[in-house]
Amino acid sequence: MANTLRLYLTCIRNTLEAAMCLQQNFPCQEVERHNKPEVELKTSPELLLNPVLICRNEAEKCLIETSINSLRISLKVKQADELENILTKKFLRFLSMRAEAFQVLRRKPVQGYDISFLITNYHCEEMQKQKLIDFIVQFMEDIDKEISELKMSVNTRGRLVATEFLKQFI
Amino acid sequence: MAGVEKFVEADNAEAIITRIEHKSRKIESLLKQNKPVEALKTALEGSPPMTRDERCKSANWIVVHRALMAIKDVDGMFSSLDPEYYDILMKYLYRGLSTGDRPTCDQCLRIHEKLTERAGLGCILRSLADTVNTV
Repeated sequence: MANTLRLYLTCIRNTLEAAMCLQQNFPCQEVERHNKPEVELKTSPELLLNPVLICRNEAEKCLIETSINSLRISLKVKQADELENILTKKFLRFLSMRAEAFQVLRRKPVQGYDISFLITNYHCEEMQKQKLIDFIVQFMEDIDKEISELKMSVNTRGRLVATEFLKQFI
Repeated sequence: MAGVEKFVEADNAEAIITRIEHKSRKIESLLKQNKPVEALKTALEGSPPMTRDERCKSANWIVVHRALMAIKDVDGMFSSLDPEYYDILMKYLYRGLSTGDRPTCDQCLRIHEKLTERAGLGCILRSLADTVNTV
């Protein structure tokens, strides 16, 4: 179980290292003086590379789309039951609303996924490539831990409240 | 020019599918003889280049998938596989990873790690950048 997680993260790390080699400043071909992330707009097919989908199992997957000046990573987190579903949605929405602080986060996840990152050439110029990749992989590891922690605290609180409330009926 | 290509492809599609069936029979026999590495080599060899026909690609993928799942010893496989097959193997690994089926993904992740160690990031980059010969 832990082994597949390690392999999954290694695979994603290697793919990201390869994909980030290509970031360069590429002004928009259609409109002069504009500079847009090509992976979002998909204006010309020659600027896009093959999107890669890495699945760990039926529930977890990671979509990596690359283009000449930007890279988009979309993650789908494992959600075992309804409670985790709600917790994940709320937690990741909380993070996405504060996307400005993260810089590489996308405000809305891509359709079918829970959270998305958009890394442009400007990010690669300002920040170190290795650190960006470390951030993303660390994020994936921590998300799982956070969600289980949240779930445990919800269950504990529910149990405490129920015990207290039902004591009055004894 | 494009019209001629399409005509040639329609003809070729049938020929390619027959060739793939032929290959799959050979691979079955190699697997029975416990030679998974040769089976994988045969599967990767005749990969149809430049076919845009989805059926040929799916048929070839099924064959490669069968050979991939039979491999138990990943390190041993790499010692006998030629470097020229690394690129095409990487493309098939990504196709396997996109299926989402648990045993396939496990196997593909295992092979992916070892293949990256062997072939380096260039191999991954070539599979990302090659939009013409997709698998």
